[in-house]
Amino acid sequence: MESSRYRTIRKIILTCMILVPFIPFISVLGTGYYYFANSLETSTTAGMKRIVDDHRQMIESFLFERKADLEFIQHAYTFEELSRAQTLLKVFQLLQTKSSAFLDLGIFDESGVHVAYHGPYELKGKIYRHTDWFQNVMAHGFYISDIFLGYRNVPHFIIALTRTENNRKWVIRATIDTFMFNDLVKKIRIGATGEAYILNTAGHLQTERRSGGNLMEPDSEYLPHLTHHEDTRAFIAKDSSNRNFLYVSTWLKNRQWQLVVRQEKADAFKVLRIATYLIVIISLIGGILIIGVAFFLTDRIVRRMQQVDAEKDQLSEQLIRASRLAELGEMSAGFAHEINNPLQIIKNEQTLIEMLMAEIKQKGELKESENLAEIEDSFKQINLQISRCAEITQAILKFGRKTEAKQQDVALNSFISEVIAMVSKKASVNGIALTQLVAHEPLYVHVDPSQLQQVFLNLFNNAIDAVIERHGGSGGAISIESASSDNRSVSIRVRDNGCGISPENLKKIFSPFFSTKPVGKGTGLGLSVCYGIINNMGGSMRVSSDPGRGTTFTLNLPAGGS
Amino acid sequence: MEKIKLMLVDDEERFLATTKKLLSKRGIEALTATSGGEALEILQQKNIHVVILDVKMPGMDGIDTLKEIKRRFPMVEVIMLTGHATVESAIEGLKSGATDYLMKPTGIDELIGRAEEGFQKRQRLEEKIRMAQSRKFMKSPRDILKEAEQDK
Repeated sequence: MESSRYRTIRKIILTCMILVPFIPFISVLGTGYYYFANSLETSTTAGMKRIVDDHRQMIESFLFERKADLEFIQHAYTFEELSRAQTLLKVFQLLQTKSSAFLDLGIFDESGVHVAYHGPYELKGKIYRHTDWFQNVMAHGFYISDIFLGYRNVPHFIIALTRTENNRKWVIRATIDTFMFNDLVKKIRIGATGEAYILNTAGHLQTERRSGGNLMEPDSEYLPHLTHHEDTRAFIAKDSSNRNFLYVSTWLKNRQWQLVVRQEKADAFKVLRIATYLIVIISLIGGILIIGVAFFLTDRIVRRMQQVDAEKDQLSEQLIRASRLAELGEMSAGFAHEINNPLQIIKNEQTLIEMLMAEIKQKGELKESENLAEIEDSFKQINLQISRCAEITQAILKFGRKTEAKQQDVALNSFISEVIAMVSKKASVNGIALTQLVAHEPLYVHVDPSQLQQVFLNLFNNAIDAVIERHGGSGGAISIESASSDNRSVSIRVRDNGCGISPENLKKIFSPFFSTKPVGKGTGLGLSVCYGIINNMGGSMRVSSDPGRGTTFTLNLPAGGS
Repeated sequence: MEKIKLMLVDDEERFLATTKKLLSKRGIEALTATSGGEALEILQQKNIHVVILDVKMPGMDGIDTLKEIKRRFPMVEVIMLTGHATVESAIEGLKSGATDYLMKPTGIDELIGRAEEGFQKRQRLEEKIRMAQSRKFMKSPRDILKEAEQDK
């Protein structure tokens, strides 16, 4: 029942000590993580949007410059001039020096006939009237195509411009180096997995994708998210292998191409992942620490509580014993007093009888006889028993009395020597070695010397009796040992190698009227009187015994002197 | 020589009766009283040398009676008889003017012994008082000579 109480207390303390620090601990880590993740996402997305916008502007200005180049040529040269191969070569070379992006240059008349061409393919004379780009450029005056194969059967895209000269429209067309444009778009690098590419309105790749995806192939992963939004847009989507990607996309000004930048989410939020790992590690270490400390402290608290409880029990047991002894003392003193009055009368009556008998005998009225002798013997016995009763009541009264001990400082060593001198004769007659083991420093105790002497004599006499019972006439040993146990008390041990005391007798040893001596040899009050005296002086008395080997009485007395 | 006159004060009548018999067998005259009040009355009427007084009595107890006796009859010697072997009650008695104390149960011989001691003390005291009184009336020869010289 006791241990279950401690278990409950232990459980409660443990729960509190773990839960209370854990709640703020986890809340701090949780809110920290939440806000950090949020702000990281926002800033990462914003950063990526900025990059995309910058990149888009760069691509747009590249295309605008190429268009401006062609416009310049159209204005600088006439259709006739450019139709000549030499002029076209010269112009192309000029263009090449300005930008190596131009792959070839061609001039077309109104009907779509390739009038002049400079480039790596044999395209001169081919008719383009029905091609998409030609129709578009004729309609709008300017056209940038998607990537297509055309006559040359190689993926490429062109920039074409019309000019009206003498009421005649003609067209200049240049092919842009796909590889160079590719590099231009691709050169963006964000983290380990960041990449940029261009899609047309149908979602077909206009530049290569670093992570795979060839020109003109549709970007199947992006297709479901293809919309005609106005602003730069960011979103997260899964790819075919279930990896999350952060996408940022924006349409170029011509609304024909869309620049897409994407990065694997894990890569984009790498810092967050590191932070997550750290949080997990901190939580684990912190948790282990909290639990460890909780267990350690709880154990200590519960153990301390048990200790205090045990001390309390012991103390209350001592108190109960002391108060029971005091009650008993009072009761027996009252009892003894009441017995003394009738004893007095009996004694007087007995004396009177003896006197009267003596008178009768003197007068010769009573003859000497055997019966008379027996009667006289009987009266003597009555007298003896009255004395015995008187002795008992005296002892009881001594036990029960509450005298103010007249305490003074006593030099313990010489005091013990004096007491030893009183019993040394009796000890030596019975072959008992009496030894006094003295502390190095002189010890003083604050006691009533006459009462303390009574206690020591009692202990020595008991010890001598016990030793004689075990050893007879020789081989006994009694020692008295004094030591300062702390500043406030002095401990004295009286040890004998006598017959010892059985555990059940040991429990009752300080109880009044408890005696193991034969009837008439002891009142059973000696040790209880000693106990009372020592308690009265503010000391304490304990006993321990090893039956058959000896007994030790330990006195703790208040230290004297200062 | 004057004989000792004793008074026993105790609430136990049988004790009083038997003790009185024992004392008279030893040739000692004793009066008895069963309470403090009765004892004081007797003291008023008769010349008593020694009172044996029980400490514990109903009504006026031994210590009160002792104080009253000592106040009114300072020449009476009082011996306390106590069933309570406490040093305290004995000390209190002695402080209040008791000559001695006895512990119950006490033998008749001891009782007589203590009573005789008390009686002798009383007699010595009376002797001194007599001496002091007679000195008042008697003049030494030197004083007479002195007075004669002064008359001249």
